[in-house]
Amino acid sequence: MSKGWDPGLVLSWTVAVIVAGAFCWLLGDVFWNGLGRVNWQFLTEAPRDAGRSGGIGPIIVSTMLILLVCMAASLPLGVGAAIYLSEFTDSEVGFGRMIRRSLEVLSGVPSIVFGLFGSAFFCIYLGLGFSILAGGLTLACMVLPILIRATEEGFRSVPSEYRLGGAALGMSRTRRLLYLSFPAALPSVVVGFVLGLGRAIAETAALIFTSGYVDRMPSSLFDSGRALSIHIFDTSMNVSGGEAQAYGTAVVLVFTLLSINLAASWITDRWLYRESIGS
Amino acid sequence: MPLNCDQWRFKAEGNMNVHSCVKATIMLLIASFIGLALASCGNNDDTRKLVLTGSSTVAPLAAELAKRFEALHPGVRIDVQTGGSSRGIADARSGVADIGMASRSLKPEESDLFGTAIARDGIAIILHKTNPVEMLSDDQVVQIFKGTIKNWKDVGGLEAPISVINKAEGRSTLELFLKYYRLKSREVKASVIIGDNEQGIKTLVGNPNAIGYVSIGAAEFNVDAGTPIKILPTKGVEASSENVANGLFPLSRPLTLVTKEPPEGLAKEFIDFALSSDVHNLIKQLHFVPIQ
Repeated sequence: MSKGWDPGLVLSWTVAVIVAGAFCWLLGDVFWNGLGRVNWQFLTEAPRDAGRSGGIGPIIVSTMLILLVCMAASLPLGVGAAIYLSEFTDSEVGFGRMIRRSLEVLSGVPSIVFGLFGSAFFCIYLGLGFSILAGGLTLACMVLPILIRATEEGFRSVPSEYRLGGAALGMSRTRRLLYLSFPAALPSVVVGFVLGLGRAIAETAALIFTSGYVDRMPSSLFDSGRALSIHIFDTSMNVSGGEAQAYGTAVVLVFTLLSINLAASWITDRWLYRESIGS
Repeated sequence: MPLNCDQWRFKAEGNMNVHSCVKATIMLLIASFIGLALASCGNNDDTRKLVLTGSSTVAPLAAELAKRFEALHPGVRIDVQTGGSSRGIADARSGVADIGMASRSLKPEESDLFGTAIARDGIAIILHKTNPVEMLSDDQVVQIFKGTIKNWKDVGGLEAPISVINKAEGRSTLELFLKYYRLKSREVKASVIIGDNEQGIKTLVGNPNAIGYVSIGAAEFNVDAGTPIKILPTKGVEASSENVANGLFPLSRPLTLVTKEPPEGLAKEFIDFALSSDVHNLIKQLHFVPIQ
């Protein structure tokens, strides 16, 4: 520091402070305005007066059901595709390359496009109507690329000695996959799962035309159900006098998202670290 | 990479845990799916269902009406979805929705559809009670909101600067206001941007030199409650719920329920319910004006 202020250092510090400041401001604003509203009643009661009063109980249930459908549909597909890409094809030529490229394109498609696709395909063509099922399946299409990429990386990073060792012991390809590669890649599957979950829970545009706007407690997957993010959008933008409730809902959503992200980094740190020692 | 026995044992133990964990998760998923599927079978037959889509202005009102209707008619389910007036009209025409919602009256090219106005939405220009200005022409309002008239003395008031209170983007009140005065959003030179009606009224009370506009229902409620505000007439017509209800007041629009055929069955029951005087308190609660 004897030369005084290094412009590069100052610049990077300023940028860092702006980024951290924006994040803290956002969190602070949400928690400052919303934390007071969150209590047991708010979490369990149904919304009243177009969302101006009451709670968000049915909305939490709908959100969870949408996520359940999304993950139940995307997890087997995603892990299957990742296994195919990493274990059975060369992903830089031919069919594997094609799948890879389409996944890259898919992960960059705006969510409203998925929403329109979901509305046209699941709601109208397959006749599911506005339903939690349609919303969850639309989200599944959206999180698949994330899930596949993370899982595929996991399978690729399994040392080939595992497979060779298994082959030397006379294990079949399926058994090698099931007993050697899959357990070793599992932490990455979980990380992909958690990242996908994080993207899915924060989604608004893909859901407004698929799972819909109804804030009643859903009685089946064929009912329309309002997700947390849509409730925030509606109470803050559409219902005058709904800001306070929107902030309360935002606290619940942000809290869930932070927990999911913390869980992801915890899993990555703990599990992947142990795995790398293990190999 | 060398392998030794310890690491293999570690792996094997890891596999056991991993497998029981995966199994438990899969079982849980399957169980919850079966549970939900059973739950959905149970109540599919005897429910009568009505789907409404359209205007986001009407949706909160329709959703509240639907809740009360459902409470009175067990076995009826009314799903309200949003998407905008055009979508409501398109969905009513295609049959995706039983009833479409529009925050305007039907256009001439939509005369194949049947619209029923269930409430009206009107906007009043408000000033502080101490402001001596009693009336503004449409042109004066436009110039004030554009910032060409900056002082109250130019429109017959006191020597004082005008503070313009505008609505935040995305508010239907803003849309209607801009449309009536043929203003563009970026032309408005606002001193304060507010969200809901109550906030606008509180800002105005705190600033005697301000001008703002709010939903007529909210303004009247506050005048009755003794809040020091004054409601200005528009084009010489007094801004009151009566004049909105009878259509005399120009700065207003009907909230319309649209059906493809003349309403019948459950749709007719719901529209009749929305028109009945039992729900007037609900309509007023959402700052709309019931139709007499």
